[in-house]
Amino acid sequence: MRRQQRILGSLPGAGSAGRPGMGRRQFIGGAGAAALAAALAGCTGGGQMSRESGGSSGSLQWWDQFRPLTKMLQDELFAPYMKEHPGVTIERRQMDVPDLGQALQVGRRSNQMPDVHSLAGLGTSAAALVSEGWFQPIGKLADFQGSPVGEFLYDGMHRFDGEIYSFPPFSGRWHEAVPWFNTALLKQAGVDPEEDPATWDELRDVARRLTKGTDDGVYGIVVPSKETEYLEFLVNRLAMTAGAPGGIDWTTGAYAYDAQQYADAIEFLIALQTDKVVHPASASMGARDARARWAAGQAGVYLWGAWFIGGLRVDEPEAVERGVGTWHIPCPETSRNFVYSPPQSGTFWVSSQSKRAKEAAELMLRMTTREFQARLAAAMDQPPALADVVEEAEVHPAYRQCVANFQDDVRIAPAPEVGTPGVWQVLAEMRDVHPNLGDIVQSVLTGSTSDVAGELRRYTDAMSAERERAIKVVREEKGVEVDTKAWVFANWDRKADYDQQAYAER
Amino acid sequence: MTTTIRRRERPAVAAARDRGGRGLLRRLRQDWWIYLFLLPTVLGYGAYTVYPLLASWWFAFLDWPGFATAGTFVGVENFERLIGDDLFWNAFWNSIVFLVFAVPLRVGLALALALVLNRKKTPFKGFFRTLFFLPVVTTGAIVGVVFTLLLDASGPVSLALVWSGLIDSPANFAADAGTSLYAGIAVWVWKWLGITLIYWLAALQTIPQGVHEAAMIDGAGAWAEFRHVTMPLLVPFLVIITLIDTVAAFNVFDLMQTLTGGGPSFSSEVIEIFIFRTAFQATVPQLGYASAAAVLFGLLTMGFAIAQAVGMRWARGRTGAS
Repeated sequence: MRRQQRILGSLPGAGSAGRPGMGRRQFIGGAGAAALAAALAGCTGGGQMSRESGGSSGSLQWWDQFRPLTKMLQDELFAPYMKEHPGVTIERRQMDVPDLGQALQVGRRSNQMPDVHSLAGLGTSAAALVSEGWFQPIGKLADFQGSPVGEFLYDGMHRFDGEIYSFPPFSGRWHEAVPWFNTALLKQAGVDPEEDPATWDELRDVARRLTKGTDDGVYGIVVPSKETEYLEFLVNRLAMTAGAPGGIDWTTGAYAYDAQQYADAIEFLIALQTDKVVHPASASMGARDARARWAAGQAGVYLWGAWFIGGLRVDEPEAVERGVGTWHIPCPETSRNFVYSPPQSGTFWVSSQSKRAKEAAELMLRMTTREFQARLAAAMDQPPALADVVEEAEVHPAYRQCVANFQDDVRIAPAPEVGTPGVWQVLAEMRDVHPNLGDIVQSVLTGSTSDVAGELRRYTDAMSAERERAIKVVREEKGVEVDTKAWVFANWDRKADYDQQAYAER
Repeated sequence: MTTTIRRRERPAVAAARDRGGRGLLRRLRQDWWIYLFLLPTVLGYGAYTVYPLLASWWFAFLDWPGFATAGTFVGVENFERLIGDDLFWNAFWNSIVFLVFAVPLRVGLALALALVLNRKKTPFKGFFRTLFFLPVVTTGAIVGVVFTLLLDASGPVSLALVWSGLIDSPANFAADAGTSLYAGIAVWVWKWLGITLIYWLAALQTIPQGVHEAAMIDGAGAWAEFRHVTMPLLVPFLVIITLIDTVAAFNVFDLMQTLTGGGPSFSSEVIEIFIFRTAFQATVPQLGYASAAAVLFGLLTMGFAIAQAVGMRWARGRTGAS
């Protein structure tokens, strides 16, 4: 808008159109030019009103998706920084994940990027974005290497060509299938919260008892199936509890979605549905819809991430007051398997278009202190990088239990892009394959297909073929030295974290 | 008539030839205010319609990952991939099915309602017109969200059907692969019925009352009058209304995205959702590929627009309008 006024102001004819002495020709010329200038100034490639990028308008722009962190970031990070630096204004926008991804894509193409943003909704590796020039390094602007999270910085994930671009404020030790339960409904159904169903069958039994032992319209569990992303991670995690290493078998580097554990995980969800213990409207729900239904007391158990309770506290605080608890993720048998997550990638990145990189880096460095990490824990979103602070932080007991369970249940998996720099180029070249795991699960749960094993095999084959194609393209067209061995981690120990030393010894 | 027009054209053509390029400038100078008032529309149309249209044609020939600031020219590769993409054809045929079922339903139901509401004896006509028009002014996305709740297995529609014995167990109409597309069609028809109803009411009011009276004197019953008197006079309007509704049936993104999201299992994915998914929701967004799909879709819409123009011309010829 400022630009628009400036351009209008530079055309005196437009402002004096009605004065005597001015001919029609001058008026047409002036008014036409002014209208054209106004339209061009107001219109951008994204079809939005123009704003100078990179916060040079005076404020530092910060975009992310962390709803539970809204108050904490404002009170504990931005407000103190602005108080200490009177010339700096920080404006934060919190968006849903899909909206954020789209806003960032449009912002990038129209030079309207925020100074700092997260990568949610972009669905690609940070390395791919670094190579496209999205970010600027921050390692020389603030001492991240010497910070308490310095030991969690990985090449190919946070450090590229020796330059630090980001840091992990959150821990990588988490998963998205934590069973959260409604204590009031459990009490009504006569289920002891301390039971902690250790196996899939025990969880089925709890769900049955909840459905039978509560009012009409209340179900044992809710499994939102409208968004395939939810189903994808849910089945991935359940398959891991059955012994799968994940979508890739790290000992061979091959895709492994056709492993029996994936079929078993899908069968488990079908069994819950057959028992009629799943909320019947689940197929129409997204993950947040399901949380709202759970909070409304329509379902006893919901499997979602650690941020569940933080989100509840913001949107449905009465549900936290009523009572919420958590269990370990159940396994098929009493013998427990681990769930695997890669190291936590950088969460916040400084745009290459930013003119306030120094301030942005200083702000981000403040997130690495133990004091801030404790406040981060108190917001009850993803667990903080320094997970031990949760013990002393002001958090709900259920959140503390959830993070403690992660220590037992989760191990850090290898990340191919850390081990081999060329991998990200392959990942960036790979096109989506459909139907993917989430699509297949949705098809099965809605009765569109019953050939679980066949669909999983076709998906595995399609993914392998697509990776081969992508490898061939980057080798032949970009000269990148990479092959399928980049996905092989022969020294992977499924009971241990794959740490910096393991990469070195690989 | 033709001779007269030719005679009238001759001096104008000659004058234009005499004036040459200066004629345009003179007209601009004489009628400058007309062009001044047209300017905002021309600029807006150019920036928000013509430019995106032309740009999408160019983008269709690029390999453009959404994270890059520009794409690289790949010729017709995107179109070749589209032809082999089962999900593109799935979305394409879903759009066609939507069109084939939704348009006749909307046009037919609206006509039936208009005939009832156009009768003198019908009570509360104003009330019912308002009632049917109300969904038209409601946002499509909101309608989609509300109907997600109404049509799910614990919603009132399913419960009513179970209670009445029409179905055995609760059904989730918007989340069942066999019914999701048809659920979308039903909601779309309900939402837009009111505007088509208004078209029909306007059309019915162009028929002179004397024609109806003449039919009655000739002994025609209600059905015979409708079939042999009312309907033939409505045919030109039928063509126009059908074509308007046909084009509208290609613009269902907001409703379908919020109602079904194209699922389950792509069963209700219409072409617009396919484009959106490819451009914004893919792991690596493919702007060129999505543009190629949009171009094919645009060509189809253009075909309908041409059909609309031809239909209008035919309708005008039939009514004798100039």
